[in-house]
Amino acid sequence: MANLSSVVAKFYNEYTVHTPKKLKIIDSYLLYVLLTGIIQFAYCCLVGTFPFNSFLSGFISTVSCFVLGVCLRLQVNPENKAQFFSVSPERAFADFIFAHVILHLVVMNFIG
Amino acid sequence: MSSSRFIGRISAFAILVALANFVQAGGNTLVLLDNLAIKETHSIFFKSLQERGHVLTFKSADDASLSLTKYGEYLYEHLIIFAPSVDELGGSLSVEGISEFVDGGGNLLVAASSSSSDLIREIASECGFEVDDDGAAVIDHLNYDVKDAGKHTLVVANPANLIDAPVIVGPKSSTPLLYQGTGLVVDRENPLVLTLLSADSSAYSYNPDNAIGEYPHAVGKNTALIAALQARNNARVVFSGSLYFFSDEAFSSPVQKALDNKKHQVSGNLQVATAISRWVLRESGVLRVKSVAHHKKGEVAPPASYTIMETVVYSIGIEQLDGNKWVPYKANDVQLEFVRIDPFVRTTLNYKQASGLYEVTFKIPDVYGVFQFKVDYNRIGYTRVFSTTQVSVRPLEHTQYERFILSAYPYYSSAFSMMAGVVLLSFIYLHYKEDPKKSKSE
Repeated sequence: MANLSSVVAKFYNEYTVHTPKKLKIIDSYLLYVLLTGIIQFAYCCLVGTFPFNSFLSGFISTVSCFVLGVCLRLQVNPENKAQFFSVSPERAFADFIFAHVILHLVVMNFIG
Repeated sequence: MSSSRFIGRISAFAILVALANFVQAGGNTLVLLDNLAIKETHSIFFKSLQERGHVLTFKSADDASLSLTKYGEYLYEHLIIFAPSVDELGGSLSVEGISEFVDGGGNLLVAASSSSSDLIREIASECGFEVDDDGAAVIDHLNYDVKDAGKHTLVVANPANLIDAPVIVGPKSSTPLLYQGTGLVVDRENPLVLTLLSADSSAYSYNPDNAIGEYPHAVGKNTALIAALQARNNARVVFSGSLYFFSDEAFSSPVQKALDNKKHQVSGNLQVATAISRWVLRESGVLRVKSVAHHKKGEVAPPASYTIMETVVYSIGIEQLDGNKWVPYKANDVQLEFVRIDPFVRTTLNYKQASGLYEVTFKIPDVYGVFQFKVDYNRIGYTRVFSTTQVSVRPLEHTQYERFILSAYPYYSSAFSMMAGVVLLSFIYLHYKEDPKKSKSE
């Protein structure tokens, strides 16, 4: 137990000290998206699947936002520079916005 | 002068057309007889046919000029064979020819007797009946007429044994029927065969001159006296085991059971024979579909396709032949099925007195695909009415779905919050500067 708490404490320290602020912003966005998705799923379990297309589009929009957010985080992380050599952070952000435009068009069409 | 000749020609043509119409009204009938004496002994029956507009052509069954067809078309609509003992048909006529005639929509009335030929037996088995062996007659030791010669073969048939179908055998009556002839056995497996008149439970069919050595082919109520077949093409066949049934003698003689004192002045044969001949010659129980219409409720024309859950109005007109004209047919058991392989809706059609149509309003189920409105009306004695109309049912259009549902607001808000989240993120992300180093001015 003590071991675990020391691991968590170390992880927290590392995170606060070494992670760039930009990534922290993205992380807080991801947390917000994750919570929204969980709340929606719980609501669907409670109320039932009646407007199923609405549930699907709402839920899928959170899932996709999360995935896109994670992609952005991976690409702008300076530690991954070697892997995304050809992708500049600006390019990564532009891709992120473009994917979002398409995603939200689809979601709006499907939500009813 | 030439114009008057022209008018003369026209009037002659008109008379010809009128004559042709008149002939069509009853239809041509070929009557095959053993010998022309039968024409005299059964004159009441033939006369009643002629009075109803039938054109009868009497021929001997072995006449060398017999032919049902000419240039590939049938010369006759109906065929009556009152020739129980003919061994071979004359001319080009054969058993195959007769079954082809029935397949082609022709109607057939055959009467056998206790000494029927193999030819009659063959025709019977083509139609789903079996005629008992040569010499066999229906014997009933309890229900025989006082005029019986001693073999108890002049049977008094109970009218309660007639099939319960007024359209074939006429209205119910309590007058007994006289019957003298062989017994028929009907094919139980054949759903198209009907027993019009069966014998009493005390009757059996056997050769009255022989001692009974083996079990009779037809015993009790299984002995069919008159049997009928309405083929799938609505051609009608009636087979009587007794030629005597249609004779003047049977029509006009009184009936009294030997073991009973009750005397009926005249037998019921005339009524039943007339009703049966009306049925077999397609004068009664003939139905047809006049019109089929369907549309959405509140509209008049059929749409290119229906949408699921729409209310649809279907109407069908069914007509019955009455004499020479078609009149609306009234019944309360006509059903409509809305079918996509399986019926999704099965409902009774209501007869509307005003329009003479059957009509029903129903809601299309929440299923899309290619559907059929199907009316399959199959009642004993009536021609089969079968009508299908194919329509397509499509799902809701994108704009036809329900919108702004209350219970979906969390989903809506989540979707919009995702958009707001992206905007907010980009705003913060783009305006945030990593590790604000000391500016050059400092």
